[in-house]
Amino acid sequence: MPESFDPSPASISDGSSTSTASDRGHVFVTVGSTRFDALVQKVLSEPVLDVLRAKGYRTLDVQCGNSDFDASQLSRNGEDRWQRAGDVETSVWRFKPTLKEEYERADLIISHAGSGTIIDVLRLGKPLIVVPNETLMDNHQAELSDALAALGHLMSSSVAGLSKAIETLNTSALVPFPQFDGSRFRELLDEEMGFIHSRDNSSSGR
Amino acid sequence: MDTLGFLTLISVLIAALTLLRLYAVLPSTQTAKPSGLREDSDVCSLAVFLGSGGHTSEALRLLSALNFNRYGPRTYIISEGDTLSMHKAMDLECAKSTEASQTTPFTSGPDAPCSFVVIPRARRVHQSFLTAPFSAALSLAASIWHLTASPLFFGPPAPDVLLLNGPGTCFVLCIAAYLSRFLGLKSPKLIYVESFARVRHLSLSGKLLRPLVDRFIVQWPDLLQDGKRGECRGWLV
Repeated sequence: MPESFDPSPASISDGSSTSTASDRGHVFVTVGSTRFDALVQKVLSEPVLDVLRAKGYRTLDVQCGNSDFDASQLSRNGEDRWQRAGDVETSVWRFKPTLKEEYERADLIISHAGSGTIIDVLRLGKPLIVVPNETLMDNHQAELSDALAALGHLMSSSVAGLSKAIETLNTSALVPFPQFDGSRFRELLDEEMGFIHSRDNSSSGR
Repeated sequence: MDTLGFLTLISVLIAALTLLRLYAVLPSTQTAKPSGLREDSDVCSLAVFLGSGGHTSEALRLLSALNFNRYGPRTYIISEGDTLSMHKAMDLECAKSTEASQTTPFTSGPDAPCSFVVIPRARRVHQSFLTAPFSAALSLAASIWHLTASPLFFGPPAPDVLLLNGPGTCFVLCIAAYLSRFLGLKSPKLIYVESFARVRHLSLSGKLLRPLVDRFIVQWPDLLQDGKRGECRGWLV
């Protein structure tokens, strides 16, 4: 391993006990059901691939949704599926019924700013870089990624700043995201509907 | 007094009474206090609007926290054509009944633990503003049918609580609930939960429903900085 090698991808793999040396360094990019041409184009660009390679990532899967992108550097592999061999082996495809397995397999996830994707990825404890789509008119989604970035749960980046974000990401410094706590809403509704003597509420610590 | 003057007087009187009645049914600006205690063994019927996409995911995550033996029967209100939300709700019902080792939730008839109601969308994405009033009216009519008219004439009664979290169509459901209140009929408690994605700015449905619902809940405290009504108990989804 070269001196300049940043230990972060390795530390992610070491952190999850199921990873072995052979499947270390997998990146998954997702745009969900949206269209996000700029992000897809960016992650397939040489500067980003260079940074990924330098950080020790070896495979890249891109779920591109309805995005348009320049596929001239890729070879077509069936309907809506493209591939490229190389230092960072790349595979691009449009949709799968569920992305949970893709999240679980990845050591780094780069995603659009959809709140569902963000919650799912963070609850799996995966390092996440969120890239809000700046071309959306109602860009409230950037609010969420900025707020979660300020709390240290993820890294928020512009499309233009993605290489830099990947380079500077320190996965071990990310703050774990809390798991789902159903008791808050349960207590709130029980209280509103008059179940205030409920045993369910006895554990509440307000 | 001439006829015109008489009619004007009557109109003013009706308007004043209508406003008074509306004022009486509006929630107080203070956080509403729980009304009517229930026993542990009581049940509480619940309706939830699944607004598709992220709205559906969040609404179902909220529901997953509840004791389904307590909150039932459950009515899922979905927009026309939103089969994805319907399937996600069925998944939750199945998961919950497996958890409680009960029989299948998908029986029909008056004793069914869950049911689905479909209403037309108030406004489709990219719909022209010319035709939007017509779809909104259609949507309102369907909401009034399900929340006000059908419970009054045909039963079963209106649900005890209606959970809303956007988008647009949930506003017409709120209006229908208000019609019931206005007429002195049973109306569900209205609970609005703003999306987890809303950190510093309320959604349009949030702004519209804030003065109308019985509980207005946000998941990020900055949304309440204006000091108006609402509460935050942290992240709920």
